[in-house]
Amino acid sequence: MMLQVDPFSPIMIALLIETTLQMATPLVLTALGGMFSERSGIVNIGLEGMMLIGAFGAVAATFFSNNPWIGIVVAVIAGGLLAAIHAVITVKLKGNHIVSGTGVILFATGFTTLMLYVIWGARGISEEVTRVPQIIIPGIEGIPIIGEVFGSLSPMIYMMFFAVLISWLILYKTPFGLRLRAAGEDPSTLDAAGVNVETIRFVAVIISGCLAGLGGAYLSIGFGSRFGKLMTSGRGFIALAALIFGGWRPIGCFLAGMFFGFLDALQSFISLVVPELLPYNNFIQMIPYILVVIALAGIGRARPPKAVGTNYEKERPA
Amino acid sequence: MIEESTPSMEQTALLTFVDRLMMRLKSKSLHRNILHTFASIVLALGTAAIIMLATGYDPLQAFSALFLGAILNFDQVLWRATPLLLAGLSVALAFKCGLFNIGAEGQLYMGSLAATAVGYMIALPIVVHQLACLVVGVGVGFLYALLPGVLRAYRGAHEVVTTMMLSYAAVFFTQWMVSQGPMHNPGDWRSISPIIFDSAQIPKILGSAFLNWGFIIAVLFVVVVDFFINKTVMGYEMRAVGSNEDAARTAGIDAKRNMAIALGLSGALAGLAGAVEVQGYYHRFYDQWSGGLGFDGITVAVLGRNNPWGVLGGAIFFGALKAGGLFMQTSAEVPSEMVQVIQGLVVLFVAAPRLIDWFSNHGVAYARWIKDRPLFGFLSLIALSYGVFGAFMGILVAGPYVSSNFSLLLLGFVTSIGGLVVAIFHFQRDERRTRATWMVALLWALMLVSGLSMAAASVVSVALTLAGVGFVISILLMRLQPKSDELKEAA
Repeated sequence: MMLQVDPFSPIMIALLIETTLQMATPLVLTALGGMFSERSGIVNIGLEGMMLIGAFGAVAATFFSNNPWIGIVVAVIAGGLLAAIHAVITVKLKGNHIVSGTGVILFATGFTTLMLYVIWGARGISEEVTRVPQIIIPGIEGIPIIGEVFGSLSPMIYMMFFAVLISWLILYKTPFGLRLRAAGEDPSTLDAAGVNVETIRFVAVIISGCLAGLGGAYLSIGFGSRFGKLMTSGRGFIALAALIFGGWRPIGCFLAGMFFGFLDALQSFISLVVPELLPYNNFIQMIPYILVVIALAGIGRARPPKAVGTNYEKERPA
Repeated sequence: MIEESTPSMEQTALLTFVDRLMMRLKSKSLHRNILHTFASIVLALGTAAIIMLATGYDPLQAFSALFLGAILNFDQVLWRATPLLLAGLSVALAFKCGLFNIGAEGQLYMGSLAATAVGYMIALPIVVHQLACLVVGVGVGFLYALLPGVLRAYRGAHEVVTTMMLSYAAVFFTQWMVSQGPMHNPGDWRSISPIIFDSAQIPKILGSAFLNWGFIIAVLFVVVVDFFINKTVMGYEMRAVGSNEDAARTAGIDAKRNMAIALGLSGALAGLAGAVEVQGYYHRFYDQWSGGLGFDGITVAVLGRNNPWGVLGGAIFFGALKAGGLFMQTSAEVPSEMVQVIQGLVVLFVAAPRLIDWFSNHGVAYARWIKDRPLFGFLSLIALSYGVFGAFMGILVAGPYVSSNFSLLLLGFVTSIGGLVVAIFHFQRDERRTRATWMVALLWALMLVSGLSMAAASVVSVALTLAGVGFVISILLMRLQPKSDELKEAA
């Protein structure tokens, strides 16, 4: 006999909000990463792989150092390094962005699974490691909903809000942001203005890997406390969808990421509130993926940065 | 080679099939492609060897086991190549139309589930039954990919995201179908369907336990796809859309319709891959049986450069890797996941054709440069090898301290990357090479200090040697740098 839960009680609403934040954090971080890359003109479907290697790096580093903060740093570095490979191939060697991104995903999948075996001798999941300690705000436990949601949250969720703000500032309020957007819209004009398009794109792709690595780290040591084979399960692609849905803008990425996070949360919420649906759990799990497709079909032709996906070849002096 | 016969062949008005084939085989671009592909594979295997060294496996043993495993189980190689070939053709066909079917996995699942359903629910005579299963599998795959195709063509929803999302949805759906759903094998605790009738199974070839006539079907489709892409109007239109959508539209080609159908056909091939695999080997639908065949299809297509015959080669290569991988795991104790790492590396190297050019161009220029200034050139060559050797040693020395000293590991890693940078700078004849060599020598000195503080003998000895050698090389580099070179490089 299962317990009937009132879906509209404050506790349940607080739970829904908290799960939404938890599910949205990796999506928003990764979508922001994708935004930097794509606004500079480089398609990055390797986000999934960068998340995965970030998630792995975080757990491995935490396992060996017993300090989750080092884990976060290593995740960011690992994501950045993998992105650097993508950057070398696409920016320097003018390779196909999507093929390179696929290579990044395949490599990250194989490499993390291999290292899982090398380090822990395990084929499925790693040993448990220390999680990033939650930030506990004292004195607000009593307040309904807000107290339950914000009373104890992972600092990485706050980091995510911070990242949105910083990304917005960088993209719209700094010369670097202006150049980055120009690199994605009209690289030859930027080049004519005396800015090195390759450098801008290179940096942008590395930033995207760092953010995706951070997003992956949240999955493995912020939300959970271990690494599992293929644990990102398509979140990199959902982040890509959030990026498109959010119109390649920081605030848009944030809102879209939140929306997709909400769908994810709703999925676990439904299976909790309506236990009769448990045999149909697979369909509930499908909801976020299907809705992403519907959402993409619904917005119609989104306007991506004009030069996205194209390689910029500097004209050779005659 | 045999170039003398080329002109006479061109003069012959009657070009037979063999002649045309010979012409194609002699074309420059094909040679270039084949050369690039082989170079990519060699580079990927080399990088994999470095990863093996760093993780404590013996690459020579691993590769020989891989090779031996593929030779000994050649029927397994072809069996493994069968779904790879069809999935590869699927991805390649979409690619020809400028679409990237990254979710072939989902179409493969849906196709194989449908084929299974026909295989055990309906009783039909032999041959008819097998064909019925295949046709239904193909049809379902077609429809499952047509949906994202239509969404892409008419609504602009990017196919990379939608096919991937639908792929995850397909995994959940098929899982439900064979666990709680109507296709669950009654009374079984596993998530599987009942076994299909004998009449629906594809027979094995030559008494092999693995290889079945599905392989012949797959090879047949190489010809079919080749013909479709290169010899039919629709294939031509798809290629036109793929190379330049706007131009194709201006020429009066219905780009949207072609896109939707191309993705649908791509899904049909993926569905066929699933149906053949279930009918030929598994004989029932296991939950998550494919384990990434759709993704492997991308690798195969990329390696085959989206040419159907190239895809055949790529499929056999990866089939060999997969068949050999299991042998490698049992005999050399290298995890079979290594194969996936190699796959990723191959794709990365193939994605960067200019890397090979970069190597050959700079290699030639570097050799000439050394010939011009033997003394400094030789020193630069030594510095380059020092960089490469240091890159190895950095990881190798710091590796064992992964659990005890994290900062040493990080330092070793940075030193390794520094070594690589030194090697690249020397290779490219970049003027920053002397400064970079200094930096790496300093890093090794740092390693020495941290090794001393930890009383780690292996670190101390290696770091002492490499720091010493590094400083000597750096000083010599500064001394010997010819003045004319500095001026030339500054200009």
